[in-house]
Amino acid sequence: MARKKTAGEATVLRPSRKREPPVDPYEAPDETETPRRRRRLETTGPADGNMEESRNSVTEDAHPAVKTTPAKRRGRPPKSAAAGTPNAQATTPSAKRQRPLAETPVRLNRIDTPSRRNIADRSARRKSARALIDRVIGGAVSDEEVEEGDIAREIYESSEDEEAEEGEEGLDGQAEAQEPITPSKPPGRKRRAPTRKRSPTPPRDLPPHEQYFYQNKPGLAKTSNNTLSSLDLLTHDEYFSVLRQLKDPHAADVNFLQNLHAESFAQWAFELSQGFSTCLYGYGSKRRLLHNFAAYLSSQNSHRKIVIINGYVRTLTARDILSTLTAALPSTLTSNTSSSGGLNPSTTLQNLLTHLSTTTTSPPGGGLTILINSIDSPSLRKPALQSLLSRLASAGAAHPQIHLACTADTPDFPLLWDAGQRASFAFLFHDCTTFAPLAPCELDVVDEVHELLGRRARRAGGKEGVAFVLRSLPENARALFRLLVGEVLVAMEEGEGAAGQGGGGEEEVAVEYRMVYNKAVEEFICSSEMAFRTLLKEFHDHQIINSHKDSIGTELLSLPFRKEELESILEDLMS
Amino acid sequence: MDRIEDSGTLFEEDDHRAAFIFNAGHPPTTSTQKPTPRPAKRRKVLAQADASGRAHQVSPAELAFPPLFNGAEGPDAVRLRKHLFETAWPVLEDRIQNILRDANRNTLDEVTSFLQRASEAETGKITAGFIITGPSIASQHLLFEQLGEHLCTATRARFVRLRASEAPNLKAVLKKVIRDASASGSDGEEDGDVEVSQGGRKYLDYDLEALHVSLLQQQQSPRVVIAFQDSEAFEGGLLADLIALFHSWRDRIQFDLLFGVATSVELFQARLLKSTARQLYGAQFNVVQADSVLESVIKTAVAGSQAALRIGPSLLQSWVDRQKDQVAGIQVFISALKYAYMCHFYANPLSVLLARDGRLDRPLLQPEHIEAVRTLDSFKAQAEAAVEARQLSHAQSLLQDDDYLVVQILEQSQKRSEYLLRLLRSLHLVAATGLTSTSFTDLYILALSSGIDIDQSSGTVPLEDAVKRLGPDEFLSLIDRLLMAVQTGSPELGLDAWESEADEFVGSLTDLRDEVDGLRERSKGNGALLKSKYSAQSRVLRTTVVAQKVQLSQDSATLTDEDKAFTKAVDSLLGLLSQTLNCGPIDDLFLHEAWVLDSKSPYQDVFVPRPGGTFGRALSRPHDYLACACCAKANGGMASTLPTTAILYHLYLEAGALINVADLWSAYYALVGDEAEPGLDERSALACFYRGLAELRMMGFVKPSKKKADHVAKLKWLF
Repeated sequence: MARKKTAGEATVLRPSRKREPPVDPYEAPDETETPRRRRRLETTGPADGNMEESRNSVTEDAHPAVKTTPAKRRGRPPKSAAAGTPNAQATTPSAKRQRPLAETPVRLNRIDTPSRRNIADRSARRKSARALIDRVIGGAVSDEEVEEGDIAREIYESSEDEEAEEGEEGLDGQAEAQEPITPSKPPGRKRRAPTRKRSPTPPRDLPPHEQYFYQNKPGLAKTSNNTLSSLDLLTHDEYFSVLRQLKDPHAADVNFLQNLHAESFAQWAFELSQGFSTCLYGYGSKRRLLHNFAAYLSSQNSHRKIVIINGYVRTLTARDILSTLTAALPSTLTSNTSSSGGLNPSTTLQNLLTHLSTTTTSPPGGGLTILINSIDSPSLRKPALQSLLSRLASAGAAHPQIHLACTADTPDFPLLWDAGQRASFAFLFHDCTTFAPLAPCELDVVDEVHELLGRRARRAGGKEGVAFVLRSLPENARALFRLLVGEVLVAMEEGEGAAGQGGGGEEEVAVEYRMVYNKAVEEFICSSEMAFRTLLKEFHDHQIINSHKDSIGTELLSLPFRKEELESILEDLMS
Repeated sequence: MDRIEDSGTLFEEDDHRAAFIFNAGHPPTTSTQKPTPRPAKRRKVLAQADASGRAHQVSPAELAFPPLFNGAEGPDAVRLRKHLFETAWPVLEDRIQNILRDANRNTLDEVTSFLQRASEAETGKITAGFIITGPSIASQHLLFEQLGEHLCTATRARFVRLRASEAPNLKAVLKKVIRDASASGSDGEEDGDVEVSQGGRKYLDYDLEALHVSLLQQQQSPRVVIAFQDSEAFEGGLLADLIALFHSWRDRIQFDLLFGVATSVELFQARLLKSTARQLYGAQFNVVQADSVLESVIKTAVAGSQAALRIGPSLLQSWVDRQKDQVAGIQVFISALKYAYMCHFYANPLSVLLARDGRLDRPLLQPEHIEAVRTLDSFKAQAEAAVEARQLSHAQSLLQDDDYLVVQILEQSQKRSEYLLRLLRSLHLVAATGLTSTSFTDLYILALSSGIDIDQSSGTVPLEDAVKRLGPDEFLSLIDRLLMAVQTGSPELGLDAWESEADEFVGSLTDLRDEVDGLRERSKGNGALLKSKYSAQSRVLRTTVVAQKVQLSQDSATLTDEDKAFTKAVDSLLGLLSQTLNCGPIDDLFLHEAWVLDSKSPYQDVFVPRPGGTFGRALSRPHDYLACACCAKANGGMASTLPTTAILYHLYLEAGALINVADLWSAYYALVGDEAEPGLDERSALACFYRGLAELRMMGFVKPSKKKADHVAKLKWLF
């Protein structure tokens, strides 16, 4: 009897999940997924125990099961209890037929398409369900078939587990298998293989590559839905005012580290003098260190010119570098190249190098030392600039006129150079971990973080910036932007209507290029595609518009702003 | 600390400039952008920087080595070390350059003669030489430089080198060709890059007419050799255009092309149009293999008697491995060698013991030097050996009597050269026997690490069996080779002939030769083949078929008297060789630390850095660097006192492929927030969090993700 009781309890759990959709006729068809999923998770929790035995004779238990169902469901109005009668059960087939139809499109919008494995699982499950049904209908159960049936059931149930865990399985397979499966339970079957259980804690001490594959398993990237919306994000002003008051508890240690590195100055200078270049890498800002090194070098030999190149400056170009280098050299060259200085960088570099090679016998020590901050910064990562620098450095190896020292801030900097460039740099690498905080000029913290979060703060102050840009543009540009903002907003509305609230979060909404063009022509904003492009180009230049192509090659335009910002921009434009 | 803050405010205005000339404040530089309104402050800062930067007094004009022994090293010793470096390295560098140049000489001659022949033959096509350089683009540089020099002198042609990075398009290539071709040979006459004018007409700087005119003006042979250093990197279309263009100018300017090909000519041809390929008349040249170049560099610069500093076996092995594993190029090897010299003389105070010509004398050796010698492993070994040999007074004097030790130290110089001479001669003889297939490099490394011994079972160079198995003819030729080796020495190794010093060895060899020669004649007269106990199959297995059954019987071949005498000769040669080819490992020597560098540590860090590991260590165990009191307890784990980025890094390591920034923030804030030890309020914690996150992004650990709101994607798994 005791067994019977537990079985009864357990059955309550399972059908309560299984039959849930038909059971509650008042449930809104477009109810969001979350509550249901939560419920499902809850039900599986206790089901772990002896739910295994639940199915043995559901035919007898069916009635109490249905009866108790409402009791288990929390927070439901008592009305549903009335619904949980055999009457309601009678509606099941129709609901079954409608449900998938109603569900599918919503699901597609919200969840990633099911992975291939899921699909395979589902079809395996369908097959095993069919096998179980066949067997029940056929009646005769031989020993072999029992074993087969076991496999079929295992497949079927394993997918149930997953479903319970992931809560995002399709309902169709479930619905199909639901009815016939219940009576077929052979008594006292141990069902859940313990190996199927997925531990929520990741395995420890995996080697990095295993870790990569583990963490990139499809479906594993589960993170909470928390967002930073409740947090008031920092503005530039606030960030700096807070930062000014903060005291770094490690300041003394950082200074100590700095001085430790400073003791190597003589060594680095020696290495430079021997035709090597030095590269200082490691965590922390090395700008100050390099500056102190420059001071040391100039105290050692005041005849050498020292040029410092700040790689972290985003607007750095080859011309900046070359013109500074030229300016640093004796005046003969400056006058010589000033006429042709406006030519392309390679010409200037050529002149520079020929000048250096011809004046090898200039006053002793009268050379050039180039110190580069952040050689791996985005602005210096361009191959053209690196090859320019490597040519400068190799000129230094040939005749010790040019010395080059640089710092690198990312762990992947050796990828910057191929074998040839690296040989011409003749680098010696030194670990110079300083732990010094990066200065505002090196790293724009607030912008960087906001860009990371998709908040886009760099665009000239968001909405105000747009207003400023548009004020300087002609009338039809303003009209076009207004059109664009309107279209994007409409698309956003539509997207939200289709996806339901809270779906994909900050998905960027894009509109079709063609469509915008046609509308622009209709509204007499521009007459030709050429003119349209010109207008868009202006927007691109100010980074207030993004364009990209989707997978089938349709050109899409989008605006890097959030909905609220767009709305206020539109208001401004309309007024 | 104040100082740094101070200077921080000072150069702030420079921080936002892309590039500027460093202006230290004192002698006025050419940069006059700034009127420098604050010279006083600047000078003060500099003085302070000086004081902390170097605690010692060095005259700023010369770049001197810093004194060692915590600054107690005398200036004479410092100067001596510097002098030793400056005399030791350049000698080697010259020799290495010579080797590299010699290695390419054959190729150069072939190319030159081909170009000359081709110019005489009227083919109506452009002459093209394909030089198969192999995959190492780093070593092409020297080859093409030499080609330039060689061709300029041999064929009086203008030489233009093109690299793909300098030649993005047709216009740029033409500009460079015209500039280089018209500039070389006529420096100063015109600047090359400006347009050439003639009779008021001006040419565009990419018009080949300009080149034609300038060549005519200079009345030189209108011949231009254009070398494409990395032809694979050039765009196919660009090459085709260039070839077509050069072909059409053939009647006015004779263009010859050289292509550096890293893969194969077939692949190169496949990239060209057939019509373009038909305009070329080409030949293929091979460059000496990198392996053989490496071997001769090692012979000369590492093993040779010229090398002042010895590279220890394990370090040398790691260099050689790197050459093989990573296609690093010979330049890397040379850099490593140079850096080893730099390290040794810069940082090892005992390197003064390498000084010769009496520059090393008693007053130079300070108490610190002697103290340092007594800490060496080899000193310990020496003292222990003395005790074991019951030379107690010797051991005691070593330990206590400074003057006695100095005498011993000064004697070592002699012993060192003796050892090296013996080592090199042995190696040379081993190589001369031709009985071992080991390469010289491996042999040398082996000899340094475990000495030379030809014993079959226990020796490092097991030659014994090979010698025993020699037949009479081979025996004689072996002796000839050995004698030859002694008579000529090895110019590569810097070994002179040492015939006069090795009378005994040469004498014995000659005796053996005469004896075996006689034996051979005699046995020839007897009609038998001369064999030794070892070489003849002394036991012959006979197979006889008797009544359809196979019978095996062993038959001891009888040795004639001549054979026995020959066996004896082989034995005595073996004895002679094992006596001569014998040498101990290098670290058996007293004071070998003064002239052997066998530590991988500076080399590994400086040439093959592991920045990923360095960054990972800094972030996961900041205490290793900061040595602060607060983080000592963390020991690689998490602690609220760690720098922000380190805390975020720990959280980052625990996170999955997608990271929710909101959760990251709450985890961080829970750790450092009000309840925790530093007790940051929310806004300050947020500011720190911002900074940490921005740094993580800058270092490439995370990137924005569009999968979910406020999420970032993980980018790094492997460090």
